[in-house]
Amino acid sequence: MKREVVIIGGGPAGLAAAIEAESRGCDVLLVDENRRAGGQLFKQLHKFFGSKAHSAGVRGIDIGRQLLQKTEELNVEVWLNSPCIGIFSDKRAAILHNGVTEVVEAEKLLICTGGAENPLRFPGWTLPGVMGAGAAQTMVNVGRVLPGKRILMVGSGNVGVIVAYQLMQAGADVVGIVEGMPKIGAYGVHAAKIRRAGIPFYLGYTIKEAKGTDKVEKAVIAQFQGGKIVEGTELETDVDVICVAVGLRPLSELAQMAGVRHGFVPELGGFMPLHDENMESSVPGIYVAGDTAGVEEASTAMDEGRLAAAAAAQALGHFPDEEAEKRKQEIRDRLESLRQGPFGERRMAAKERIVGKGV
Amino acid sequence: MSGTMYKTFDVAVIGAGSIGSSVAYFNAKKGAQVVLIDAGDIAQSTSSRSDGNVLVCDKQPGFDAIFAKASQDMFPELSRELDYDLEWKQKGSLFLTETEEEFEIASKFCQDMKECGISMRMMDQKEIQDDEPLLAKDIYGGLETISDGSVYPIGLAYGLALGAEKKGAILSLHNRVTNIEKQEDAFRIETENGTILARNVVDACGVWAPAIGAMVGLPIPIRPRQGQILVSEQTFQVARRKVHEFGYMLTKFQSGSYRRPVSERVEKHGVAFVFEPTASHNFLIGSSRAFAGEDISSEIEVMKAMAERAIRFFPVIADIKVIRSYSGLRPYTPDHMPIVSGTPVEGFYIAAGHEGDGIGLAPITGKVMADMIAGEAPFMDLSPLRYDRFFSKEER
Repeated sequence: MKREVVIIGGGPAGLAAAIEAESRGCDVLLVDENRRAGGQLFKQLHKFFGSKAHSAGVRGIDIGRQLLQKTEELNVEVWLNSPCIGIFSDKRAAILHNGVTEVVEAEKLLICTGGAENPLRFPGWTLPGVMGAGAAQTMVNVGRVLPGKRILMVGSGNVGVIVAYQLMQAGADVVGIVEGMPKIGAYGVHAAKIRRAGIPFYLGYTIKEAKGTDKVEKAVIAQFQGGKIVEGTELETDVDVICVAVGLRPLSELAQMAGVRHGFVPELGGFMPLHDENMESSVPGIYVAGDTAGVEEASTAMDEGRLAAAAAAQALGHFPDEEAEKRKQEIRDRLESLRQGPFGERRMAAKERIVGKGV
Repeated sequence: MSGTMYKTFDVAVIGAGSIGSSVAYFNAKKGAQVVLIDAGDIAQSTSSRSDGNVLVCDKQPGFDAIFAKASQDMFPELSRELDYDLEWKQKGSLFLTETEEEFEIASKFCQDMKECGISMRMMDQKEIQDDEPLLAKDIYGGLETISDGSVYPIGLAYGLALGAEKKGAILSLHNRVTNIEKQEDAFRIETENGTILARNVVDACGVWAPAIGAMVGLPIPIRPRQGQILVSEQTFQVARRKVHEFGYMLTKFQSGSYRRPVSERVEKHGVAFVFEPTASHNFLIGSSRAFAGEDISSEIEVMKAMAERAIRFFPVIADIKVIRSYSGLRPYTPDHMPIVSGTPVEGFYIAAGHEGDGIGLAPITGKVMADMIAGEAPFMDLSPLRYDRFFSKEER
């Protein structure tokens, strides 16, 4: 089986890429291991930031709906419940589809499998009730199940703060947000909502231990200085859930398997596939986008997907050079404007470094 | 280790896989001053990409089987002697014969092996079903080898290398050898981290042994023969011990006129069913054979063929997930026997070319190499392992 463009992962990057590539006339196959495409968008009940061009003010869930609707209108071929089990030589993707391993030979392959939450190890971290904040968000916003009644959040980045707020809205008692650093990591507007709701931040604290026999019953937190727990500063509270939100890392196993050159880029989540200004990796014809290409946000993921797709369509001869260059520049400019401000600048510098180095 | 070493070692072993680590261990045990050098880490290449078989069942009757049995017999003591847990288990192994014709070939093989002192017995259909209840019902029969066992292969290499270090050997890891020069009374080994002097050198680099041999002008006829393995999820007990198809012998030695009734892709990729349970309740499925240079990427067609073959023998495997696959390089020699030998370059030895048997043959290889360097007579005539067997009289 052959396809011009095979996109692995139907999150914001993959959906945006599929729409871009299909509308340029490429023969596209989009595969996703979930029942539904959209990635994390359907968990994101909050409104996005940025300018209007970046869907600011629109909730993630609605962006997901719009993207899905567009792929349907364009008749993009989408395989759901279809995990990619490996990428083999000559850009062949093995995809488990309807119980059969289909080997699809791609002319251009885009890997946008997203990111994964970092774990945090502490005594008791394997007790039921200790979970990633993303898992809690899926439970509450997609599954409509409250993971617990009294919840401690570890990590005050956007994920930790937003999920804490959504858990609270859903009826949980969020007992606090613990942050090892001396200041809050999230955008001010999110943090302000938490403060208004009366949820305390424990800055300069970390989780020391989860206590319980068969499940989490208590959390012990303590002050954290110079990478060490300060003995004697422990605080203990009853909880049934401890959420861990200590950052994400690129999911790049497929890119590794495909032989794509990787590098360590702390600003973008650590070990990640390197790419050029077209999102193309060191393996010709293999592209990366979204959190796989460095952890950022849904809005940047969508534009990276579009950029990769435009470049692929151009390389396939479907997109005339002049138009394609113009389109790509427009997307790059948008990405640059998304990477502004104190949060975006570090990521932009890292991306510039990656692209500047070349693959 | 850095800078120039002025000390002259008795033995420099190059290659810290299971073979080199064993050579270092047994030499150190004899009191020799040993340095074990590797471009990477202990067990970095073939030893960490193998299964942990310690078998005599897949050897050829005669020298091959007797040599393998001598190595196998060393494992119980070695696992007591080393600080590292080798996970040595001796549950025997089971060869499956798919057809009556295969059963006949296996019966003859069983007889020949018994004459070499290997404890084997044929099993009929009922016996193999009683032994492994999840087997496909139509498998014709089997062949049990009583003494076969398995180890944790990375643990074996680590146990031996760290055991050598405990006996005074120096480990020089992440230190690539760049050149070797034979001087009057010692070899001058140039490495990334400086010069090492040694009276004797053992090339235990497996697949990469030819590159080291070339440094002293010796051609070594070893080629990489790729093999792939599938790893299952943690699951129930599919089989209680090492089970493989007798057809494995046919793909390994590529001899005889019998053709297995298998699909094209199984035939094409030299796939023979091998099953090995692990200590953590996963299992490994092999095996494939291909000359593919130094390529160790997995190939989906080979993976499919291995899965197909596994399901043929244990239909229940169809419902179990594969969580990983990996591939490694066996050091292959044209006659399937390793080179454990001195060479025309005095003081330069080769311990390499064990194809898929390097784990099982590691102890005996280390021991006979230590005897050889010490000038002691080996426990048996080792001429089938001589380096010069590959060359005509004139070439020697």
